[in-house]
Amino acid sequence: MAESKQATPVAPDAVLRALADPHRRQILRLVRHTELPAGQIAANFALTQQAVSRHIGVLKQAGLLTERREGTRHLYALRHEALEPVRALLSEFWPDALSRLKKAVETAHPRPPKI
Amino acid sequence: MTADIRNDIIIATEHIKARPEVVFPYFTDPALIVAWIGERAELDPQPDGVFSLDMGEVVALGTYTTVEPPYRVVFTWGIPGNDTLPPGASTVEVVLTPDGDDTMLVLTHRGLPSAHIGYHRSGWEDRLGRLRAAAG
Repeated sequence: MAESKQATPVAPDAVLRALADPHRRQILRLVRHTELPAGQIAANFALTQQAVSRHIGVLKQAGLLTERREGTRHLYALRHEALEPVRALLSEFWPDALSRLKKAVETAHPRPPKI
Repeated sequence: MTADIRNDIIIATEHIKARPEVVFPYFTDPALIVAWIGERAELDPQPDGVFSLDMGEVVALGTYTTVEPPYRVVFTWGIPGNDTLPPGASTVEVVLTPDGDDTMLVLTHRGLPSAHIGYHRSGWEDRLGRLRAAAG
């Protein structure tokens, strides 16, 4: 496990809601491999700094961003572990679909009862 | 039914009480595929043939790369207009192995970028709801 000051698990819902916005996904891509201050993140968007701050707030709340203070600057980075519950959920997509497949096939082609 | 996810590869397995000959068309026949996934499908099951699956809010689009009835089918899987998971970006391989009169199905989904998950939100939220309901 990577070092993380925030160990509280966040429900997948909060993470999914945070990821539902294209601007927020873009923010995560920007800080995926590097720490950036809010101003530099905002410079990538045609949004007000205030709007970008709001998005950063949502991502922080969902546990998707780490925040570190350096002098007067706040530096943000992706907290990779936060994606784990969503990855786990993602892993439900195919099993879920395949159990529907099983049901569909076995209903359409019932086996005669064994004698 | 089991699933495993590592390094952005998903492996899912299912045991089905029917022969591979019966199961296979559920990956190639538009009328049969919608019995378990998607709402509408356009399928041309031959190499470079279209694989298009309308799942309501999301359309999965790709092409078949391998069609070997009744044991193996491979198609690409992506979301049109999506920069992290464009059509062709990921690959789904389905292998059907006879198990007596039954079929052991192994599905492997490769090439999923971790950043694409947000685009599947509605689907996952829907599933999350059902998971929660199932878990009580």
